[in-house]
Amino acid sequence: MLNLANRKTATGLFVVVLLAFFISAPLLSLFFASNLLGRQFTQAQAVTLSFWNNPYLQRVIVFSLLQAGLSTLLSVSLGLIVARAFARFGKFPLRHIILSLFGLPLVVPAIVAVLGIISVYGSHGWLPLGSKLYGLTGILLAHLFFNLPLAIRLLLPVWQSIPQQHWRISSQLSMTTRQQWKHLEWPALREALPGVVLLIFMLCLTSFAVVLSLGGGPKSTTLEVAIYQSLRFDFDPSLAVVLSLLQLGISLLLALLATKLTYKPDVEATLNTFNTQIPHSSSKLFLGLLIAVASVFVLSPLLAMIIEAFQGPINEVLTDSKLWQAAAFSLMIGLCAGLISVSLAWSLLSASTQHAYWGNKKLASLFELSGSIIYVVPPLVIGTGLFILLSQTINVFEWAIPLVIIINGLMGLPFVIRTLGPAIRQHTMRYQRLCAGLDLHGWQRFKQIDFPLLRKPIGLSMALVTSMAMGDLGVIALFGTPETATLPLLLYQRLSAYQIPQATITAVFLLMSCLVTFWLLEHFIGKQQKAQYA
Amino acid sequence: MLKIEQLKFSYPVTTSKAKKNTSNTHPMCFDLTVNAGEILSIVGPSGSGKSTLLNLIAGFDKAKSGEILLHGQDINHYDISKRPVTTVFQEHNLFPHLDVFTNIAIGIQPSLKLSYDEKLEINLALEQVGLFEYSSRKPAELSGGQRQRVAIARALVRKHEVLLLDEPLAALGPAMREEIIELLKQIVINENIMALLVSHQPSDAILASERCAFINEGKVLIIDETKQLLQHPQQAEIKAYLGLS
Amino acid sequence: MRYTPFILPVLFSLFFQTASAVDPNQSKPILTVYTYNSFTSDWGPGPKIKEAFEKNCGCTLKYVSLEDGVSLLSRLKLEGKNTKADIVLGLDTNLTAEAEATGLFAPHEMTIKKSSLPNEWKNPSFLPYDFGYFAFVYDKTKLKKPPTSLKELVEDKDAPKILIQDPRTSTPGLGLLLWVKKVYGDKANEAWAKLAPRIVTVSKGWSEAYGLFLKGEAPMVLSYTTSPAYHIISEKKDNYAAAKFSEGHYQQIEVAGLIKSSKQAELGKEFLTFMLSEDFQSLIPTTNWMYPASLSKDKLPDAYKSLVDPSPALLFDETEVAKNRKAWVKEWLNTLAK
Repeated sequence: MLNLANRKTATGLFVVVLLAFFISAPLLSLFFASNLLGRQFTQAQAVTLSFWNNPYLQRVIVFSLLQAGLSTLLSVSLGLIVARAFARFGKFPLRHIILSLFGLPLVVPAIVAVLGIISVYGSHGWLPLGSKLYGLTGILLAHLFFNLPLAIRLLLPVWQSIPQQHWRISSQLSMTTRQQWKHLEWPALREALPGVVLLIFMLCLTSFAVVLSLGGGPKSTTLEVAIYQSLRFDFDPSLAVVLSLLQLGISLLLALLATKLTYKPDVEATLNTFNTQIPHSSSKLFLGLLIAVASVFVLSPLLAMIIEAFQGPINEVLTDSKLWQAAAFSLMIGLCAGLISVSLAWSLLSASTQHAYWGNKKLASLFELSGSIIYVVPPLVIGTGLFILLSQTINVFEWAIPLVIIINGLMGLPFVIRTLGPAIRQHTMRYQRLCAGLDLHGWQRFKQIDFPLLRKPIGLSMALVTSMAMGDLGVIALFGTPETATLPLLLYQRLSAYQIPQATITAVFLLMSCLVTFWLLEHFIGKQQKAQYA
Repeated sequence: MLKIEQLKFSYPVTTSKAKKNTSNTHPMCFDLTVNAGEILSIVGPSGSGKSTLLNLIAGFDKAKSGEILLHGQDINHYDISKRPVTTVFQEHNLFPHLDVFTNIAIGIQPSLKLSYDEKLEINLALEQVGLFEYSSRKPAELSGGQRQRVAIARALVRKHEVLLLDEPLAALGPAMREEIIELLKQIVINENIMALLVSHQPSDAILASERCAFINEGKVLIIDETKQLLQHPQQAEIKAYLGLS
Repeated sequence: MRYTPFILPVLFSLFFQTASAVDPNQSKPILTVYTYNSFTSDWGPGPKIKEAFEKNCGCTLKYVSLEDGVSLLSRLKLEGKNTKADIVLGLDTNLTAEAEATGLFAPHEMTIKKSSLPNEWKNPSFLPYDFGYFAFVYDKTKLKKPPTSLKELVEDKDAPKILIQDPRTSTPGLGLLLWVKKVYGDKANEAWAKLAPRIVTVSKGWSEAYGLFLKGEAPMVLSYTTSPAYHIISEKKDNYAAAKFSEGHYQQIEVAGLIKSSKQAELGKEFLTFMLSEDFQSLIPTTNWMYPASLSKDKLPDAYKSLVDPSPALLFDETEVAKNRKAWVKEWLNTLAK
């Protein structure tokens, strides 16, 4: 009778093994590459041994943790304040629009965001910070731009999950704001916070383009940047391996800590949570101001870019057929990466949910963790490692695009798991027995039940990964595809040909393409559809 | 005849807080018999293992040992889908995105490729539960009682000998309960089905069944005539359950 | 059926694989040239050179474009003997010694007839195709009195702020490092320490720094003496200029080489010959914005005549660079990271 469930476990385990392969194979092949290249094999050991005495490495690690820690602290604490303001302010006309706009930074390519941030805070920007921008300040600003809205969107549902009844009780007991926080909000938040903190910390730890562009120089070298430099310039694969393992180790430790702190309820609460009215004594003006400041902060870099683009030679750029080819090509890569990411995550989550359902929590979290952890292995390491591995046997250039797609798909996994995970869990709790009893399984079950009911989170996941992969520069640049350029690559080519105004327009075009793709996918996959009779 | 012998089960020991709170961590062992054309009521304190018993029969949980004999044949090792069993749950019996007709159809043919006879049968079942005019409505447009009737109609068209009713009345008002119970009784007799009804309300059990099993701490404490068992209880456990002590 | 979600993406990937594997001109031999991105972009010399070369060679010229010269070298090390390249175009003289050490390059057995280089070319494995001089570029309308020497830039506390590149990831960045070394010798560290407060940011590559400069983030940027030519020719703007430094300007020579294991050695040599011909060389000034390695001065665009005279040209011996690069970069790193 467990046949079906066993198959789910098997598929899940297959994906875990696949992911383990994509983490370990590149690292191993890089490690041995240092030997093949005639370098001393002991170098990696030497690096590891002298690790505690190496001031450069120490600085790198301290700075990585410092910037990621500070960015996370700022994003989450400010996110809490603004999310609370949103929850208390209640309904207002722009609320829905602002909250959807807060989803944007996640899909804005880092290179575009950096240009936007320089437009706002640069020497000639709206709010000039001068050369202070380059350094920790700039890094924190950019990370806040990316992660503050993310934190708000992840935390706001927590307020909505507090039952209306509890708020009514709190007002009958005439609780103060502080007591509300202590007895209602904090207990609910405590469960969600470790996951949110972990996600944002990992995003900041592995952030690459931001640190390179706004870091200001060697003072701001993070692990991710050091890995890049060890591979790109010094070509010292063993050092890259050691650094990658360090980053992986730190993230694993934190992930384990977070799973320990997180307590996921077995069954989702089905209390009425819609349109919760929160009684509060805060001044509406103050709450509104908080929301307004946060919105301006998030939207101004994008707006600045757009305004700048309109001052450039728009026609020249938009009528270039290369631009549209690149857009189509980027879209194809994005869609394929999205498809891969969603199907891998689906298998992992099915297996995970199955085991959570049986009370087998350890295995369940292994499935989810394996999907999230791959994110902290730099794509450059995966790419280079695979390149060495594969170049012995096949012509890597012919496989460049599939590889780019796969690596981008893998990098999207943590986001899909976060988006799709809770939905699949609830879905399984409700319909698992019913479907089993009705002998619904495999494709029929997916087509008739799972997809129609889960199309919203599936659409959102697909939209997320697709638009993220569209903005990717790192992986595609590594393989060096000749005839076809993606949009970010085209943007980069413009930049290296002195064409800054054209590059700005290309950047805004890239931004718009990501947004339109996101919107279209979310709406077309996510819409309701009727059952089909044959 | 459905005969359950020494059916043993225990939940895996976990460290999760959720499982610690419930009391059904003790080993369970069930023995009972249900006759064709009969509803057997299952009552007992919460956490005593009532739902687990149904899950074991349906195959959602796997018994460690023991036998589930249907006409003398042990179905304990069958896949969930191979067991001639249909379950009606307290809620979430229907898929919210499918209309009433499709919700029933999916119980016969997951692909929804229906023959003429099958469509006819669905309509007949709908008529039998009194929802013929509602066939194109979505579950959200129905009352709780109507939704349960759709689930019963689906059980009808599936034509399985064993019907497991896992608190199907819990979310309904008193008048609606009686209506559904009458419908169930009628169907069980007409189709010669073996039904097990888990219920919270002693009154439901009295109304629905001749015989009743009282389950406590994972075991069938006693099976007796429903009225006798619930209106003149002898055992301390039943008295405690009914609040008579 | 359970595996449907896997099959679909794999099919997609295969589609791309076959799409890129099928070449319409399979009958013709293919010459594969590894080069950098800005060379092959629509605005670089790549497309026109491909067209001109294919006219006579009866072959297909295929570019594989990587980020920059540094990634070319990394890629060669990565691929080793399995490399698919026939020609590598875009290394500079600071990388050639290390590139030669890979043992992948074949001697070119050619001489440059009409060299425009200030110094004689002797390297047996690589041939130059263009060269330039590093310089700090500024906007004449915003900066009236630029520093006139490297020493002034370094030592004057009120000298303008600058944007530079990282010597670990960019060739101009490495160029400045060597420039300072050439001028200051053992005192280079102290010079960097003095310069440090006026460095706005150290960017990854040339394009990021130049982009920031055009956005007005700093009055001066490390670039080439030839950069103003772009603004004069393409944008008809003459407000950008390179500051002439009295110590001279550090030179960068970009080269190409032939891969030993190439199956298209003949075609490869044909390409190198073409590279030094006027067809190729005359494209360089207005697409790569550098001085062509073999073109008489009167064939340069007019704009090039208005550029600063970079002499004397400063250049380290390539073996000296190869020997000391790591140590010098480390020194630099420790000074700037404080």
